[in-house]
Amino acid sequence: MSELTTNRNERDAETQEAGDAQPLTVNRRTLIKTGVIAGAAAVITSKKTTVFAQGSGNPPTPAPPILCDPRPANSPATTPFVDNLPIPLPSIPTLLNPFPTRSANTNAGEAARDDHQAWNTFPPLVFYHSIAAPSLHQFHQDLSPTYLWTFNGRYPAQTFLGIYGVPALVRFRNNLPIDHPVPAIPELTIHMHNGHTPSESDGFAGDFFGTGLWKDNHYPNVYAGVDQFGGIGDPREAMRSFWYHDHRAEFTAPNNYLGLNGQYILYNQKDPGHEFATPGSLRLPCYYGVTDIPLHLHAILFCPTANGRNEAYITGAVPGQVDKWIINGKIQPKFTVRRRKYRFRVLNTGPAKEWNISLIGSDGLQKPMTVVATDGNFTEQPFDISNRTLLIPVASRFDVIIDFSQFAAGTSVYLREAQAQFVGVATPDPAPGLPIGNVAMRFDVVNRESWFPADTPPIPADLIDMPDPIVPDDSFTWRFTRDGDPLRFRINGQVFDHNRIDHAVLKGSSEEWVLANDVIAGNWTHPVHIHFEEGRIMSRTHTNRDASGNIVSVNNIPLLPEELGRRDVYRLPGQDRLVIQLRFRDFLGRYLIHCHNMNHEDDFMMVRWDIVGSVEELTRKRREIDERRMLAGLPAQYGNGAKKGRLV
Amino acid sequence: MKRRELFTGPGQPSASTCCKPGVSRMATLIPNALFRTQDNKEVRFYDDIIKGKQVMVMMMYANCENFCPLATKRMVDLHHQALAHRMGKDLFLVNVSLKPEQDDPATLKSYAEMHRALLPGWTFLSGDRYDVDTLRYRFFSHDHIGIDEDVDQHAGLMKIINDPVGRWFHADVFASTRTVLEHIQWSDPPKPLAERLKENRKLQERIERDRAVYGYRKIA
Repeated sequence: MSELTTNRNERDAETQEAGDAQPLTVNRRTLIKTGVIAGAAAVITSKKTTVFAQGSGNPPTPAPPILCDPRPANSPATTPFVDNLPIPLPSIPTLLNPFPTRSANTNAGEAARDDHQAWNTFPPLVFYHSIAAPSLHQFHQDLSPTYLWTFNGRYPAQTFLGIYGVPALVRFRNNLPIDHPVPAIPELTIHMHNGHTPSESDGFAGDFFGTGLWKDNHYPNVYAGVDQFGGIGDPREAMRSFWYHDHRAEFTAPNNYLGLNGQYILYNQKDPGHEFATPGSLRLPCYYGVTDIPLHLHAILFCPTANGRNEAYITGAVPGQVDKWIINGKIQPKFTVRRRKYRFRVLNTGPAKEWNISLIGSDGLQKPMTVVATDGNFTEQPFDISNRTLLIPVASRFDVIIDFSQFAAGTSVYLREAQAQFVGVATPDPAPGLPIGNVAMRFDVVNRESWFPADTPPIPADLIDMPDPIVPDDSFTWRFTRDGDPLRFRINGQVFDHNRIDHAVLKGSSEEWVLANDVIAGNWTHPVHIHFEEGRIMSRTHTNRDASGNIVSVNNIPLLPEELGRRDVYRLPGQDRLVIQLRFRDFLGRYLIHCHNMNHEDDFMMVRWDIVGSVEELTRKRREIDERRMLAGLPAQYGNGAKKGRLV
Repeated sequence: MKRRELFTGPGQPSASTCCKPGVSRMATLIPNALFRTQDNKEVRFYDDIIKGKQVMVMMMYANCENFCPLATKRMVDLHHQALAHRMGKDLFLVNVSLKPEQDDPATLKSYAEMHRALLPGWTFLSGDRYDVDTLRYRFFSHDHIGIDEDVDQHAGLMKIINDPVGRWFHADVFASTRTVLEHIQWSDPPKPLAERLKENRKLQERIERDRAVYGYRKIA
């Protein structure tokens, strides 16, 4: 180990000189001699082996940034299509010291939490270490490095690849600087969006921990329905593409803007992580990083600062307007694809920008892309996006399959984003009618080499069976508004208070929830996210009002194909009302509902709801909620036991 | 008392924290505009009000009839309930008038007197419309024209700024007393790791006690 340390120190100096503080570079001999392969991810390049330390030390800490002021009119100019699309590295399991425990190991510095609920039923078998620390990342060759907060020194952060039935545990350690000038906060609570995760590992917004502490998040990696189906639950409840991100109350937007998020993928027999014909496999493109590519969508406004960097512009708690579209940490990257099917796991990491993507060929015409999964859930049937854009709200994930065999080798295809970005380098339109500012990335089509995996069979017409229809035990309405006195983003008339419960449900029950944004003052779009459970959209209605706010008509809006599958982010434009059905199974505790426009979320548009294990607790909590609401001058939610006589 | 003493005096944890006391971190973020206090004293917003201090910033105006007096009363109550020992020593409150054309220092003073808000550590400021708007944008901007253009959108929200440690919070003054106090506590200078570990262990004890008494975790 000492040899490695010496070597690292030399290398640290070297990398700092080079201005690139992230990778810890050693040659292959050192690597083998010191035997760190088990704890490190190795990427073989032509001459060197680059090792990214996991759990054994940190990348060198960059000097704190200088904040820019005033706001620049636009980011610096960047030449399109010079950087290759980076692929987030897979996270490599490691051993944890001290070994994880069921109860919080506060003596060793673990943040206070409840005992792991599923520790005895699904003891973790795979362990990861994820260290949040500042580091530098270069978003484009024309830009100097940018100060970010990252996991394990990487942006985009490493992807956790897991298998259903193999419980995992991730130790998130907070090594962020206490003393820093950015208007973010070095306190973390990591939410795995939208895993079937017990509450103590779900990243509750008030459960944050500060610098120097760490927390073990236990991910049982089971399907919902363990209580009913036994084993690892109902396989029809499988989800595939998740993401994890910081959820610190009030600071979710800046902390995510600075890079504290990553992807988490789970495989099972239907979608096994390979493309061979195995029983039950759908044979979709599924080699991670080869034919199955995560696309993290991000947007930043850059500004040059006195220390020679290009910092991400941020003032106050709310990131400013952005003008550079970033995919996997690069501005307008290019990606070489073979003439075969590829799967892209598109993830909008926010904080606030909605994406409208489409695929444009070099002839300027829109080309089809096939959506197979919405928010990580396979749809019953795949559907094409060929004559409209695919709207991706913040935090939504779409698994999109693009068949590049329809394009000739040597041609290029473009991912178009409806909103134009600032490029600054005069570039002719890459395709007729496609301005360069609208191009988010470029695919360069080449013939498939013999060593590259052969194309997968056509996408099956039917992907999955949906879980049984839900028979709701009860109904409940959530009103998302910006009203009241003072004007504020509110849910059911109240702003977020992490100490207050706003709804309680009984474990094992199911409810029909109405997400309403149809009051006069509520003309805002909110991508509503419900933790813990996937829901199914039953209907969407839109209220038409005249100029004075009177209701003219209420129209039923047909659901889009992407709304027919299961979702965990529900886009709720002004005057809309969604009816969804969910059930609450297996685990207890505190969960959240919030607007995933992280600026609204940080502005307290969030509520806490609890899953409880007994009718006594349910009764007590619902009574408390009603008492508190009436004291605050708000209508009671449950009535005097009359409406909800069965439970209260 | 010298500013440095505020942070190094007995009972102040910052003497042993990471951060050097009195180092200003937010000069680039916060405008240094000229304002007048309720006592008709000229002050620079950054240099005299924010620099080196932990300050709660609220927006109000004197003839506002709904939420401004409510917010002021809420803060007066909080002051007497829980903050009196800190106000004017290591915690300050500044109310910036949203309608500076109407609110001259004398008006602000009578507003403060009416609400019994002439308390230690409290300042009411009036200034130039341009500076007020700059402040408002800096503290409460959403980059959204519907919010940013409307002066009424920020009342009841409070920014808590801790300049020496670069912390910047907002809180809803109408939340429960416990929650508002927690928000203020979040913006306190960070404590040394040993102390935070001790608090963490205490929190764990509380969680376990809750579990023993109620069967579930009652506190957040």
